[in-house]
Amino acid sequence: MKIHPAAWIGWATCAGLVAFTTTNPFYLGLLVVVAWFVHAMRPAAGPAARSFRVFAIAALVTMALRTALVFLGTVNAANVAYAALEGARLATLLIVFGTFNAVSDPFGVLRLAPRRFHEPALAAALALSIAPRTVAMVEQVREGQRLRGIGGAGWRALPSLAVPVLATGMDEAVTLAESMDARGHGRGRRSRYRPDRWSVGAAVTLAAAVVAAAAFLAAAFSGAGDLHPSTTPLRWPSVEPALVVAVLLLAVPGVVPADVEAARR
Amino acid sequence: MLNVGRVASRLLVAGVVLAALLGPAAAATSAGSACAATAGQPHAALVVDTGSQTVTYCVQLDAPTVNGLHLIELAGQQYGLSYVFGFGGAAVCSLDGVGSGADDCFGSYPDFWGYWHGNGSGGWTWASAGAGSASIGDGGIDGWSWGTGSDGDTHPAPPSLRFSDVCTDSSPSPSPKPKPKPSPTRKASGATGNAAASPTSSATATKSPKGTHTGSAGSSPTGSAAASDGAQSPEIVHASLAAGQAPSSSSSPAGALIALGAAVALGAGGLFAVRRRRGQGPA
Repeated sequence: MKIHPAAWIGWATCAGLVAFTTTNPFYLGLLVVVAWFVHAMRPAAGPAARSFRVFAIAALVTMALRTALVFLGTVNAANVAYAALEGARLATLLIVFGTFNAVSDPFGVLRLAPRRFHEPALAAALALSIAPRTVAMVEQVREGQRLRGIGGAGWRALPSLAVPVLATGMDEAVTLAESMDARGHGRGRRSRYRPDRWSVGAAVTLAAAVVAAAAFLAAAFSGAGDLHPSTTPLRWPSVEPALVVAVLLLAVPGVVPADVEAARR
Repeated sequence: MLNVGRVASRLLVAGVVLAALLGPAAAATSAGSACAATAGQPHAALVVDTGSQTVTYCVQLDAPTVNGLHLIELAGQQYGLSYVFGFGGAAVCSLDGVGSGADDCFGSYPDFWGYWHGNGSGGWTWASAGAGSASIGDGGIDGWSWGTGSDGDTHPAPPSLRFSDVCTDSSPSPSPKPKPKPSPTRKASGATGNAAASPTSSATATKSPKGTHTGSAGSSPTGSAAASDGAQSPEIVHASLAAGQAPSSSSSPAGALIALGAAVALGAGGLFAVRRRRGQGPA
């Protein structure tokens, strides 16, 4: 069932490239749906699974802010549309990243790092998992407070929320460091216990994602596909069916069946 | 559990999808440079929008890159476009008989010739530097539009055109290509006027081909610097009054519908999976 972390890195890189090359709302919208689909079909255990929602909210805020910036300057339909499309591109990048966070195990990614880069990779993995862990913690603390009848809403509840969340975060960090130390991380001795297997599903996922990114890069260099629809004059963007198929290729990890890996043996 | 047959069928499907994608993508890439390849010589497109009509010229370049003023001179040589430069040949006073003479170059101000660069996908960006310092190469597209407004937000932009709309494969042939006029009135605010244009607007563009090219090349003898000596077959490639008709909107409904259908299918599939998982309880 699991897809190799390296394949997820490749998928996220390619999906990010696709989002980066275009401001066409059709491709971006479809890419968001594809990312959500992959997230829905590949539920991960643990706190990381919640990160999709966090990043989706962050994406909405980003897009709204980017659009609101227009109102500091000249306001007309073309400017607003341009800013909204730029914001949509940023938002799509965030959602792709959120999907990557939700479906992949950050410590599985960490294990791929060469030994020499183990410590920076460890820092990166911790940084990546901070946001979803914090969200999970906030929910736990609030649930505990509600059970004790302390609960409250709004800004006034913030101090009583912040202290336990920070304290729990500190505890978790220490626990994590101890457990990683116990497993030989950071000592040059690497555990080969249950290594991630490179499955057929991972290969198909990676190949499809690379093809999708290549199609968008080719379109970007040849000027095809209306990747950046004109906003002066503002007009309806056209959509190239081949590029729609390319975006759909990024949904492949959502439909890779569970038994592919088992069948390989 | 050995399930080779199912794996093989999945791989086959994946292979078909890859092939289906790579075919059109390669075709699209080659189509972009087809114009230049067939012509052999470097060409750039020049769009002149006088406010009442738009004339486009597929100009053969005499160097790998030329500046914006030389592109106009070349259009004058090749198609008889009349023009007047002022301020020592650094400013465009008049194009196609519209504008002022060199002695009073900005005499019609606040109306003046706005300079635009095409972005390759039909849109226009306001030129930040003068035409004399611009660089246009093979496949480039430059636009001039007559109107008021001192920046790209307020000046009317030329209609949405791409290089491939101006320099079609058969453009060096002497037959003029009239384009229908969808609407004889030019909207003052072209940018907002097209905001609600649906992709089906191409249907109206084909119904009344009454307005063919109204020849204006060489018809206005005001050009003090107009070089019409070596004019090879003066031809207006096409003229239209439309303020921004989507050039290739015929393919857009299909693509948009495919995208919409795929999004709905993926959404339904994902929702189904989530529902089923919740029904089973925590896995």
